[in-house]
Amino acid sequence: MLSKKVIFTFSPQNVERPVTYQLIKDYNLWVNILQAKFEPSLGGKLVLELKGEDKQIKEGLNFVRKIGVGIELLEQEVIWDEKKCIDCGACISICPTGVLSLDKVTYKLKLDYEKCIVCGNCVEACPLQAIKVIF
Amino acid sequence: MTIKRTYEEINAKIKSGKVVIVTAEEIIPIVEEKGIKKATEEIDVVTTGTFGPMCSSGVILNFGHSDPPIRMQKIWLNDVEAYAGLAAVDVYLGATQLSERQGMEYGGAHVIEDLISGKKIKLKAISRGTDCYPRREIESYITKKSINQAILFNPRNGYQNYNVAVNTSERKIYTYMGILLPDLGNASYSTSGQLSPLLNDPEFTTIGIGTRIFLGGAQGYVVWEGTQFYPQVIKDENGKTIHKGGTLAVIGDLKEMSTDYIRAATFKGYGVTLVVGIGIPIPIINSEMMKSVAVKDEDIWTEIIDYGFPHLKKPSLGKVNYRQLRQGNITIRGKDVPVSPLSSYAKAREIAEKLKEEILRGKFLLQEPIQKFPQGSKFKPLLEIH
Repeated sequence: MLSKKVIFTFSPQNVERPVTYQLIKDYNLWVNILQAKFEPSLGGKLVLELKGEDKQIKEGLNFVRKIGVGIELLEQEVIWDEKKCIDCGACISICPTGVLSLDKVTYKLKLDYEKCIVCGNCVEACPLQAIKVIF
Repeated sequence: MTIKRTYEEINAKIKSGKVVIVTAEEIIPIVEEKGIKKATEEIDVVTTGTFGPMCSSGVILNFGHSDPPIRMQKIWLNDVEAYAGLAAVDVYLGATQLSERQGMEYGGAHVIEDLISGKKIKLKAISRGTDCYPRREIESYITKKSINQAILFNPRNGYQNYNVAVNTSERKIYTYMGILLPDLGNASYSTSGQLSPLLNDPEFTTIGIGTRIFLGGAQGYVVWEGTQFYPQVIKDENGKTIHKGGTLAVIGDLKEMSTDYIRAATFKGYGVTLVVGIGIPIPIINSEMMKSVAVKDEDIWTEIIDYGFPHLKKPSLGKVNYRQLRQGNITIRGKDVPVSPLSSYAKAREIAEKLKEEILRGKFLLQEPIQKFPQGSKFKPLLEIH
């Protein structure tokens, strides 16, 4: 079982395609919508977490590519500038999924990237502007 | 018997390399193991530290005179206005002043940080012109090396203790205590607790006017009690004691400071502030001082205050200690609430450690206060009189 986070970019031509439905039904993928932003006349963006067999993920992404939807893989969605960070912890309590915490011994900030859903709360909470999110 | 130790004795030990010094965190297990009496005998100095947002901060600058000279009446540094109502080329730049072009993204604190890191700062000033100062405008660039003085002078720093901020309203609010989520969604606090300078000397026995301190990476001084100085000791029926309201006015040479220990910050929706690193050495002049510095996070209490209420007197939702806060979650009205510190404990620890090293290297001597802070001060509101 593989897990991948992806960003799909839709154009006005393909914005109405039920991509999520087809990935689930035709490719047997586990799909979790992390973020979605659509304006039917302009297109849209969809951030998904996909889980399934390697082959099915590849075939599913091929299908999405064929209908003209842009695909970007999210390798590391939160960019944390450790040099700028002062390890205060202002970001910790506004994170809905517990990505951020202070180490119990060193009290330095640590990030569990696996849990991130790219919501961006930490970006606006950081007083030192040390966190960025790619979206 | 109370052991007494003078400042002169401590400084003599620093000079001869025999001083025994630990941080306010390291002293806790020592006192637990050896007791107050033995610890007092063995240890001369305990260092404290804090690194948090301190809005009441700013810098006094003197640029030198141009030719022809100008008496600056309005001045901007990187589009952030400074106060020019002092002589001709002296100004005071406040940390929270916002840029006229970039708004909350850049402000006085950022100019201060850029000055410390040696960056070029754009200066623009205007004047009506006089016979002795004929010039009416000037545009130039300055750096910390090109100007005469850059003196950090912060009227209110080092708050002894502060509230825990929460929000019971239905709306997300943007405050100087960070982003507070609706319906008790989170909490924030801003003190280094057992490492905090004024919580280790809550009676101001060794901290007063003239105390030499670590300020932003350089040596600075306490010059007065801070503005809004109003120390209180609040005891409740369960024996929980809250010390709060002490503040410090501090001064130091900005040119000697380092961005490792002083930084600009922006709280979204609130504005710009300066994160200041302060470390204060506490001389163990007697066993009473040892008792003070042995204070632990679990013995330091503070109040949970509802910032969702937009008036001066905000409701309290109970008390909590710093051990509970430091664990990352507290319970309020039966709800498990995640907590964010706004002041960096890791940095506070680093500052206490660095101050300890400087004293051990003989670079930092202890200064006895030349005058104690006033007692019985009041905290007055601003009344609207028509």
